[in-house]
Amino acid sequence: MIFFFLTSGLFLGWSLGANDAANVFGSAVGSRMISFLKAAVISSIFVIIGAVFQGEGASETLGRLGAVNALGGSFTVALAAALTVFFMTRLSIPVSTTQAIVGAIIGWNLFTGSSTDLNSLTTIVTTWITGPVLGGFFAVLLYMLLRRIKRGARIHLIRYESYIRTGLIIVGAFAAYSLGANNIANVMGVFVPAVDIGVIDLGIVRLDGAQQLFLLGGLAIATGIFTYSERVMKTVGKNIFELSADAALIVVLSHSLVLFIFSSARLSDFISGLGLPAIPLVPVSSSQVIVGAILGIGILNNVRNINLRVLGGIASGWVTTPIIACFIAFISLFFVQNVFDITVQEDGNSLTDQESIIQYDQSEYPRNDQSFLLMENKNSSPPPLIFLTDICPLWNCTACFTRTSLNPDSMPIITYRIKWP
Amino acid sequence: MGVFTRHTGKIIVKIDDFFDTVEDGLLIFKEAIKCYLNDNSEHFQDYLKRIDKLESEADKKQKSIENDMIIHSILPQHRSEVAMLIDETDDLIDTVKEVVFQFDVEIPSFPASLNDNILHLTETSVATCEELIPALRAFFREPHNVRDKLNRVYFFEGETDNIANKIKKKIFHDMPKLSLAEKSHLRYFTHHIERLSDRAQGVADLLLSLSMRIIM
Repeated sequence: MIFFFLTSGLFLGWSLGANDAANVFGSAVGSRMISFLKAAVISSIFVIIGAVFQGEGASETLGRLGAVNALGGSFTVALAAALTVFFMTRLSIPVSTTQAIVGAIIGWNLFTGSSTDLNSLTTIVTTWITGPVLGGFFAVLLYMLLRRIKRGARIHLIRYESYIRTGLIIVGAFAAYSLGANNIANVMGVFVPAVDIGVIDLGIVRLDGAQQLFLLGGLAIATGIFTYSERVMKTVGKNIFELSADAALIVVLSHSLVLFIFSSARLSDFISGLGLPAIPLVPVSSSQVIVGAILGIGILNNVRNINLRVLGGIASGWVTTPIIACFIAFISLFFVQNVFDITVQEDGNSLTDQESIIQYDQSEYPRNDQSFLLMENKNSSPPPLIFLTDICPLWNCTACFTRTSLNPDSMPIITYRIKWP
Repeated sequence: MGVFTRHTGKIIVKIDDFFDTVEDGLLIFKEAIKCYLNDNSEHFQDYLKRIDKLESEADKKQKSIENDMIIHSILPQHRSEVAMLIDETDDLIDTVKEVVFQFDVEIPSFPASLNDNILHLTETSVATCEELIPALRAFFREPHNVRDKLNRVYFFEGETDNIANKIKKKIFHDMPKLSLAEKSHLRYFTHHIERLSDRAQGVADLLLSLSMRIIM
């Protein structure tokens, strides 16, 4: 039954793989610098690695926006996002999976009467703008650097082209990793609070419940890459590649950096450790960052090259996609709950016999360090399952939404729900 | 990565070799015309054979470069333009061979008073091509400098035209003893030598547009 509910997320993952993998290897495949098969294998492997080992951060932010805590709800939310992406793509309207899932989660919040965390919403919406802008900024900076190196190094054109080709493969792998790390939240993020799976020990790695979901989502993305992305890669790749091979390399690199920045918890911790504001871990639209990077290079080369219609399309996508997804989610949830009699929201206040609440003072522990939970429960063997989400199970208690609060000192208490084995 | 490096290394050497061959052909052309004008037919025949050999070597190298570019998918974005550039450069040595063979077959009879002019025309026409070769090499390593280098090509091409016009005028205005057939024949050979610089200008035009595209 769980697998049935996951199908909507897997469909979303498939469409992400089919469309967004083109941003990663489109330029290399479109120009026949590397074969589709090689690109598909590399991107699939790295998407899965990124999703499993770094997908958690962005997923947590989506969880804070709206903790969809019932499988039926998660299924409907993911389905609403997938349908939005599907229909808008059919109508040739620029669409982002990220914006669709955010809209669908808000739709769930509205339907269930749950409050939408405005801090998280603001953070997410801000990155829709900063993502492309940052992509453009990186592209300009890196392109200028590359041009200077090219001019100074007097590398033979053919050798330079071969370096670019190798670079496209390496950067493509990094981009696929970042895509998996950042966008897996769109695919499986809504299922994390609702699905309770135990830890699996594979010998070399231990995968917790969320990671197992991310692995499934990663496999769905990989299926999308293998089954449908070839045509998209060849079309999108040619459009991007008209920039030139080195510009394409810079565009993909800028895209990877932006996605990596918005999904790396370690980088975020490092930045906040320096006394700077922490980087929000948020899923950003891969396609829009790519367009931002291309526009950056366009500005660098010739300002008149900028296509205002593309910019207008992106801006309209920021508004229309979440609204449409929100509307579809709301209507779908109504039908799923009332026609099919499927629960779309669990009562978060009730705890089972196996569950207990633990609270701790955030200021006493480093961010993201949950070892205290294990230390405090060291007598239990095996150790308890810890809900990785930090959202308070007492859903209406706003004091619990403090973990990434801009001012943690004001609300230092964090509540975790623990499930005993 | 090692595979890329190995193939790219080989093709770079082949392209350099190709330009060397064309350059050798141009130098020998100059010497062959000198020998012809000095009635040194033995050396002229020797140069003729060497040019023939160099031309066929250049053809082989050109085909090999084009094949390698296709098989190993080298320069996929600019492959056709670069192949055209190599092909048009090969036309230079083809023209050299054609002109020298026409000298051998038709044996034009230049009056002694024209020898210096014809030699000057040959040197200037060859200089146009000789200035083109560094620009071609620069295209692969420093495309930003191609434009500067091509200035000299255009300069020598203009000079070649001027010299050729002067020779033609001299033939038709100052040599009444020559028959019209002889005059036409000499003009025809003047035009052949001049054609070499015109070909070089054609390659220069292509090179300029391609280098601009690479820089962009």
